[in-house]
Amino acid sequence: MTLKIEQDWKDIVHRCFRCGYCKFTYDYSDFNCPSYKKFRFETYSTGGRLWLIYGLISGEISWSQDVANVLYACSTCGNCSENCRFDKFNDLLVDIIEAARAEAVEKGFCPEKQKALIERIETPEMYNPYGEQNSDNEDLKKEYDLPDKAKWVYFIGCTSNYRQRNLRDATLRFLKRANIDFTLIDEHCCCSPVMRTGQINSVKDFISFNIAQINNAGASKVITSCAGCYRTLKKDWLKYGADYDFQIYHTVELVKELLDEGKLKFQSEYNKIVTYHDPCHLGRHMDVYEVPREVYKQIPGIKLVEMKRNRENAWCCGAGGGVKIGYPEWSVEISKERLEEANTTGASVISSVCPFCRTNLSDANDKFNMNFEVIDLIEIIDKLDFEITDTKH
Amino acid sequence: MNEKNILKELEDIVGKDFASNRSGDLYIYSQDPGASIPRPADFVVMPNTPKEVQDIIKLANREKVPIVPMGGGLTLSGLVIPVKGGIVMDMKRMNKILEINELSRFALVEAGVTSGQLLAYLNENHPSLQPPIPDAPPSVTIAGNALIHGSGYLSQRFGDHGAMINGLEVVLPDGELYKLGSCAVSDYWFTRGPIPDFIGLFISSFGTLGVVTKLSIKLFPKPKMRDIVFGLCKDPKVLPELISNITFMDVAEDILLGIQDKPDWMKGYTFIIVYITGESEEELNNKTKILKKMYRNGKSRYMKVPKRIEEIFLEKPQFAAKAADFRKGGGFEYVGAFIPLQLIPEIIQIGTDISLKHGIVPTLGARLIGQGHAAMFFISYSFNRADPKDMKNAREALHDTNKAVLEIGGIPWKAELVGQQLILEKMDPNYKKLLKSIKNLLDPNGIMNPGNWEVK
Repeated sequence: MTLKIEQDWKDIVHRCFRCGYCKFTYDYSDFNCPSYKKFRFETYSTGGRLWLIYGLISGEISWSQDVANVLYACSTCGNCSENCRFDKFNDLLVDIIEAARAEAVEKGFCPEKQKALIERIETPEMYNPYGEQNSDNEDLKKEYDLPDKAKWVYFIGCTSNYRQRNLRDATLRFLKRANIDFTLIDEHCCCSPVMRTGQINSVKDFISFNIAQINNAGASKVITSCAGCYRTLKKDWLKYGADYDFQIYHTVELVKELLDEGKLKFQSEYNKIVTYHDPCHLGRHMDVYEVPREVYKQIPGIKLVEMKRNRENAWCCGAGGGVKIGYPEWSVEISKERLEEANTTGASVISSVCPFCRTNLSDANDKFNMNFEVIDLIEIIDKLDFEITDTKH
Repeated sequence: MNEKNILKELEDIVGKDFASNRSGDLYIYSQDPGASIPRPADFVVMPNTPKEVQDIIKLANREKVPIVPMGGGLTLSGLVIPVKGGIVMDMKRMNKILEINELSRFALVEAGVTSGQLLAYLNENHPSLQPPIPDAPPSVTIAGNALIHGSGYLSQRFGDHGAMINGLEVVLPDGELYKLGSCAVSDYWFTRGPIPDFIGLFISSFGTLGVVTKLSIKLFPKPKMRDIVFGLCKDPKVLPELISNITFMDVAEDILLGIQDKPDWMKGYTFIIVYITGESEEELNNKTKILKKMYRNGKSRYMKVPKRIEEIFLEKPQFAAKAADFRKGGGFEYVGAFIPLQLIPEIIQIGTDISLKHGIVPTLGARLIGQGHAAMFFISYSFNRADPKDMKNAREALHDTNKAVLEIGGIPWKAELVGQQLILEKMDPNYKKLLKSIKNLLDPNGIMNPGNWEVK
């Protein structure tokens, strides 16, 4: 269920009883809400946030920067939705928090650090949250000899294009080696960071621009290696009224499809113990849990081990929801906890399928000298020999 | 001392991150999910050690600022709403499980350990043991539940959860730390006596005498198998004897009753939910046979229920908070009346009548306590938090129920402020005198959760 932007979510918010299931893992063995675990006041649980939002709606409290800060101290990981027992509205919890953030923005209470996201995205010649010069990807198209029109568009995403180029390049190489008929577009931010932080005024323009670019490329399929872009294109764009005919894939879904069809066969080994970190945007937000695991398991040599909190109960990496930019120290503390959990599995590699998770896990790994190899699944595949046994896809 | 200085002192004690007078925090800690009227808190503080609790209480006593200790904050009857403002002390940072004694079967926990935490810890590390936990979300605290005279799992067989307390560590308003129970004499927190028993002073006194920092609670063997035998009863008059007989046979780990008008097929019946345990299928089958026979003899009948219903009741803890969404309104509160068994038919009628009078679908039930010595009988009123009239209606229904319960000889459990005053009105004058004397002796400045149990 998705909360439509026009829907009156204000009629739902008071239904939260503040029972506290939202704080836990499914077996109650630990708090799994990064925000509550850090700040500990009831205010910082999802129940607390919903009550605050209700207080704002009812006029029992007034907007202030302190109140807005509580709304923003949340990575929107979705653990609350997963563990909330009220199934008539538990899917909407994150949407409600994001809608309240949009109100905060409207009232002038968006925290300063998060404001940078929209300022950069809306800056002509940038159009990305990192403040980099926009890449129209023409150089990459030349480098990889890509056509102007193709069946697939690889939507790189800002994090991969400006911060995790190794992941981007591994994806490009995989698509080429797999004979995928694909191209790149002059893409602007998918808008995930600004949607998550309630800065939504120009979102529809960005969506329209990107959809036009994809359509101009003649693509019927869009593939992305970013869990955040995947969620945004597949779920949020529709929420904002987007109308498109193309299908959305995460890279890992294509890999799985090729493996299932027998068109992709790995021919070398990756002899390491690997633990998989579920990105919130792919897992809890999109219910994709098993596809990546099935791909890891088919890589020869890999021993895949699970962390205690996995799938629906995965601990967030701490990068999402504007937390990475708003609370950089806390953000890596969250990742540190994930690495500590990974440490108990005997794995030497922590792997995921999201450049944002990769960034934050790597930052924590470096900061706290955790000695993991942090690597995306597509980067592992990039290291392997494989055979493609069919014609162009 | 002004507010700024008090905040500064609190920050010095617990650290800047865990003391607050920010408007958002104060808003949340000024109310609870029940129907009580919010009252503004001045500060919220989260101590991490008994020493920090002592320092906060010394500060409050010096400045004569009220202190309201809070566990999970889910009594629903407003017991942690700061009636006279002051400092709400959220205990949930004190969340260490300090000891599990497998042989003498007790857990020594800090005051902020949640029921979910202890349940999960035992399941993983001591699977042969089970804790007494309430019919409440896993975020409630073990200490809070026991100290409000709570009931829940295992109450039928072993009594209310307050009776399961072996020992307490408590900070009194003088700021000193006291150990109560065997821990006052021995290193083992294994029993309440055999010394003069002061633990009872801190049960159902709702934080008006001190702040509990540690608690030892009894644990119990976890049988290999657990099942439920459901019964259906049309005539409430047969219930007291039927239940008494079931408890006499000692086949039930727990017994619940459920009475509700919705869905329609439930109307007019009392559902009897008997938990049985055993080490083998054979044992469970034998107990089931005994119960089926008892249902027949007790003018009731055995009822087979779908697996999914059985699973709802076998879940630990049960999702009791579902009542909060009955009116799509996020709130419910109940009168939990402690009654002797013979009052069951009468209270069913009272609860139904009052519910209907207030336009609320009757939702009633009970948990048996101590092998038939009492029942905690609840009459629950759901309301819409966004509708002040609906909340007022629920408060009036609660008030009517409290009065009716007291009239027939029951006692409202964890009563809200108004209910407490009704109990005090009916209380033996010398009991009240004693209550007041003890309060004045331990808390001469009246800083501990003032407003509650206030003898006027």
